[in-house]
Amino acid sequence: MATYKAPLRDIRFVLNEVLAESDPLPGDQEFDPETIDTVLDAAAQICEEVLQPLNRSGDEEGSVLENGVVRTPKGFKEAYEAFREGGWVGMPCAVEDGGQAMPRLLHNVVKEMFCSSNLAFGMFPGLSNGAYVAIRHHAEETLKRAYLPKLATGEWTGTMCLTEPQCGTDLGLIRTKAVPKGDGSYAITGTKIFISCGDHDFTENIVHLVLAKLPDAPEGIRGISLFLVPKRLPMADGKPGVHNGVTTGALEHKMGIKASPTCVLNFENSVGWLVGGQHRGMRCMFTMMNEARLSVGVQGLGLAEVAYQNARDYAKERTQGRSVAGTKDAAKTADPIIVHPDVRRNLLLIRSFTEGARAMAYWVGRLLDEAEKHPDADRRVAADELVQLLTPVVKAYLTDQGFASTVTAQQVYGGHGYIREHGVEQFVRDARIAQIYEGTNGIQALDLVGRKLPQNMGRLLRRFFHPVDAFIQANASDPKLTEFVMPLAKAFAKLQQATAQLAERGLKDPEDAVSGATDYLRLFGHVVMGFLWCRMAKLAQAKMAAGGDSDGFYAAKVMTARFFVERVLPETDTLFRTVLAGRRTLMEMPAEAF
Amino acid sequence: MAAPKLKIARVGVIGSGVMGGGIAAHVANAGIPVHLLDIVPKDGANRNAVAEGAIQRLLKTDPAPFMHAGAARLVTPGNIEDHLDRLAECDWIVEVVAENLTIKQEVYKKIDAHRKPGSIISSNTSTIPLGLLTKGLPKSFAKDFLITHFFNPPRYMRLLEIVAGPATKPKAVEIIRDFCDHALGKGVVDCKDTPGFIANRIGTYWIQAAINHAIDLGLSVEEADAVAGRPMGVPKTGIFGLLDLVGLDLMPHVSKSLLATLPEGDDYRRIYRLQALFEKMIADGYTGRKGKGGFYRLAKGADGSRVKEAIDLNTGDYHVAGKPRLESVEAARKGLKVLAEHPDKGGKYAWAVLRDTLGYAAALVPDIADQVTAVDEAMRLGYAWKRGPFEMIDQLGAKWFADRLAAEGRAVPPLLQTAVTAGGFYRTQGATVEYLGTDGAYHPIVRRPGVLLLSDVKRAAQPIVGNKAASLWDLGDGVACLEFHTKMNAFDADLMGMVKKAIDTVTKSYKALVIHNESDNFSVGANLGLALFAANVALWPPIEQLVDQGQKTFKALKYAPFPSVAAPSGMALGGGCEVLLHCSAIQAHAETYIGLVECGVGLVPGWGGTKELLTRWATMPGMPKGPMPPVAKAFETVAMAKVGKSAHESRELGFLRPTDGITMNRDRLLADAKAAALKLTKRYTAPEPPVLKLPGPTGVAAISLQVEGLTLQGKVTRHDQTVIAELAKVVTGGDDGDHIDPTSEDKLYALERQAFMRLVKTEGTLQRMEHMLTTGKPLRN
Repeated sequence: MATYKAPLRDIRFVLNEVLAESDPLPGDQEFDPETIDTVLDAAAQICEEVLQPLNRSGDEEGSVLENGVVRTPKGFKEAYEAFREGGWVGMPCAVEDGGQAMPRLLHNVVKEMFCSSNLAFGMFPGLSNGAYVAIRHHAEETLKRAYLPKLATGEWTGTMCLTEPQCGTDLGLIRTKAVPKGDGSYAITGTKIFISCGDHDFTENIVHLVLAKLPDAPEGIRGISLFLVPKRLPMADGKPGVHNGVTTGALEHKMGIKASPTCVLNFENSVGWLVGGQHRGMRCMFTMMNEARLSVGVQGLGLAEVAYQNARDYAKERTQGRSVAGTKDAAKTADPIIVHPDVRRNLLLIRSFTEGARAMAYWVGRLLDEAEKHPDADRRVAADELVQLLTPVVKAYLTDQGFASTVTAQQVYGGHGYIREHGVEQFVRDARIAQIYEGTNGIQALDLVGRKLPQNMGRLLRRFFHPVDAFIQANASDPKLTEFVMPLAKAFAKLQQATAQLAERGLKDPEDAVSGATDYLRLFGHVVMGFLWCRMAKLAQAKMAAGGDSDGFYAAKVMTARFFVERVLPETDTLFRTVLAGRRTLMEMPAEAF
Repeated sequence: MAAPKLKIARVGVIGSGVMGGGIAAHVANAGIPVHLLDIVPKDGANRNAVAEGAIQRLLKTDPAPFMHAGAARLVTPGNIEDHLDRLAECDWIVEVVAENLTIKQEVYKKIDAHRKPGSIISSNTSTIPLGLLTKGLPKSFAKDFLITHFFNPPRYMRLLEIVAGPATKPKAVEIIRDFCDHALGKGVVDCKDTPGFIANRIGTYWIQAAINHAIDLGLSVEEADAVAGRPMGVPKTGIFGLLDLVGLDLMPHVSKSLLATLPEGDDYRRIYRLQALFEKMIADGYTGRKGKGGFYRLAKGADGSRVKEAIDLNTGDYHVAGKPRLESVEAARKGLKVLAEHPDKGGKYAWAVLRDTLGYAAALVPDIADQVTAVDEAMRLGYAWKRGPFEMIDQLGAKWFADRLAAEGRAVPPLLQTAVTAGGFYRTQGATVEYLGTDGAYHPIVRRPGVLLLSDVKRAAQPIVGNKAASLWDLGDGVACLEFHTKMNAFDADLMGMVKKAIDTVTKSYKALVIHNESDNFSVGANLGLALFAANVALWPPIEQLVDQGQKTFKALKYAPFPSVAAPSGMALGGGCEVLLHCSAIQAHAETYIGLVECGVGLVPGWGGTKELLTRWATMPGMPKGPMPPVAKAFETVAMAKVGKSAHESRELGFLRPTDGITMNRDRLLADAKAAALKLTKRYTAPEPPVLKLPGPTGVAAISLQVEGLTLQGKVTRHDQTVIAELAKVVTGGDDGDHIDPTSEDKLYALERQAFMRLVKTEGTLQRMEHMLTTGKPLRN
């Protein structure tokens, strides 16, 4: 059986040390260090004691469709009740709606724990938050009043209904229709697929946000609108009333996250209300999608973390063979496998990822708070721009590396990782979806190269490149940091060159530029990690010099940083070359030759 | 080649309305004194009030009719009752009074009574035939009389149509043609005495045809303008935008006069239509940009921003102007014919307009002009068409065009038939372009003496060297010409490399270098887009390298063993100005706009611009003593990013030396520059390095005091202060600046480079660069 302990020591390091230099923001005082500690401890408790124990059983049992109604696995409904009672659904929501107005940074921390303990369960509140944000930003006042408190308190849950059988990535092709009924509402008719948490038995009602086309809609992506369609129409007192023509046609049989019901939803003359104006659906959708993409990145981190914990424990217990350098534990018939370099390589690959990824995910959470609340308008804009730039990197890099980490953890187990008993194979299966949904990682790379790079003549880029450049300039001559900063400087130079090259190619031949997109995103991600690892190494060295490392935490941090810059960051050399390999190697082969 | 001695030393202009005032101003721009006379107002003590008021109005008009403030002093106001005697001083008297034969003839009688014998009289009429104007007047008058038809505004519109009557003596025509060509810089086109002459005859027809077809084919205003703009090689405003610009209310007058005088059966009579909507717009004051708006108007959006709206031609209601996407417009990049053949409504529209307009033009030669070249030139210069109608027919293919006319059951004009047989209206024979005469034979286009066009040189030869950014051409007589040809002629590494290459090549094999091109703008400076992207990703070394490369190259240009003459026209900004400043001499087109505008984008000039401007002021005769005066002059000009709005103003700002030349006619610029270069080759030695005694930190303190005052008045923004502080360091010679020890040129280059690099790393500068690139306007942050 897999286990999970929230990594509170490292979480606090990132919160209190790595991100310590940030300016105070209005509202921060509500979340003073003691409050934050209380939140962290409470989150750890519900994750370790309620959610994690249901992870394996939820996977075995799965959600099922019975008589047109979805039944979640045993214990899930009760867990949701406890979760809701604890106020965890409305963490980032406004106080006036019944939420906690928790900083985004803290929300990201807690989300990591949910994902580690039970990703399938975490989907439910995650989708509610997405719907909440879209409605809060784009809906009219009456809709807000009716639905925001329901979502914030978790009384009802939310979904996003985009995909249809004939279209996923290319949403311009949707067919779901919205016909004005003359009373300000619309009749929605169509079929949506892959709708996570589209139906369940947690709550009496579900708020669907549905993309559909009005009768006079322009062709393509510019002609789609967003509608709020409740599963049951609220009555005058706000309680759910009659069913609204939304039915669950089927549940998908999936590779992972089996406890999360993935529905085919049929809408038949369902009553809906426009959110965000006619033909403005994509704009509203992007509000949800950007949120969701960052959250999906955290899923990669969360699964890598829990996979690491279990692989680490196994590597310390499991005895096989003797150390190449000579017997370590003569009392036993074999040494624990953690003596073997390759096992350590596997563990350090994961650990150098999770600790760097944690810093990255929390940093972006902090930037979200700055973008919203910083008193200086220029700083708000700058933070928002950096989030925009990093969103595809967080989504794709953290999920690609997160998935790879679960596989690496599985490898530590040998054959025992391939059987269900240890639970590590579930992490592999659960992690796989994160690379796919909310825009495949290929789409993220396109977004980065095709949209974020050229935007405002590269303005978004400077939000990242200038701080990194400044850090390198400021620390390059510090002899204690040379071993970290020099590899970063080299990787950064590669990223600068690749960026300039792609931008230039993008102007002449966009296909040439996007042919390097996936490798470019990975190169970018490595440099973000390298930057954060250098900062963490610097902090840890300072603590050690001040004599404050009784538990060896900072020494381990420096060693992990060293592993990253020496064994992961050099991949940037290869990526630099593959980014610039250009279109030819992909496009010269005619389709029929495949 | 030197301009011939002008036979016109003083000019009289009668009538001080928009055209009369504009003509007077432009004559003054040429340095010629003008008497501007108008009527005596009915009331009021000041009998010159009308003409004086006109001069005041001219001084406030934008774009400015005067090239510099001093020109206005050459215009003497008067009235046609008290000051007719002044006409006796004038060699040329231009009548610009109301388009009314009786009034005009009254004026002519007055002129004739006072003018000196042999003086020339011309009318600026656009509607009254010359035959009528001189009817009943003495033969001695008719002999000295012709029509000179200027276009509005006279300073900026290059076309001048000349019509001589049968009695006009050829010498008078020649004198006026020479004067308008050399002194006023006009493209003079000989016309016949036919209604609307050339440009308005065809232009009015074109506008009517474009309106009709837009309505008939159901195109919106935006769609029509998207097609009948750049894709057709005519101004990007399109027809409706053009009407807004010139004023809708002008059209009925033009139509009325044309309809009154055009021959029976003229096709304009057939296509002429009164549009109820247009009449209503005029009546309601929607006369275009000068009125409440026109086919387009700017309205306030919900968020207070300005929103461009367009009118619906059917309903007369305004809507937010759309950005039409027509496949035909995209396809037009592949040529005019592709546009005219495109099946969408844009293509159909383009064809209909071209068919009518080009067919009309082809039917008018030789009635309105002896040759097709006159028609093409008139439309290029008078209506800013990229190509004249016959050049457009050649683009389409004369045969293709004639066949399609025939296929649609339309008459094929005889001249077009001739062109089909011959194979087009123009052909290139070696270096010369030949045009098809009405005799069916080709004749070479002969440039007037003193006209040298780089395009002619290029047609005849291969460049000496060149790359994608610039080329070096052989102008003969040992003079080479460096031509920039990047987008907007912006400097990048390739262009800078070619400047270096040109220096090497001329050093080895030529006597002198001219830097010139025929683009609208000489050069707008460094390619900001490349620099901004590099800066955004913190790629500082290539930026610094480009600064360094530019400094070295321009320094090499300055100290080359041969003379260099820059011949700019249009904008010469930033780096485009700095290259001029490093040349041995400048021969500028009068319409040259020079400035070191780097501060506008948060930078300081990096290629020696500040240093050269300092040098110019320091060596300016009559500068007060001490280190501060030249520093203050250079600082002010650079800090405020001042741009000379003409060559004359650029001289006042110190960019042109007193010895640098100004050419009024753009076609004569290259020849003048070449002559200036050849003159310099006699006993040429490279200049001595400047001895600049700069005040150093005390100068910075003096400047700070001055800036502090401006800051208090709110004239200096937050980032201005940063930029100004950097500029102050450069212009005073830095921390080591000392008014006893001269500051070396290399030290100034280093100061410029360091200041540039510090600024390009600031957020404020990057915001300014981005804003300039995306909006074309400076950001005040």
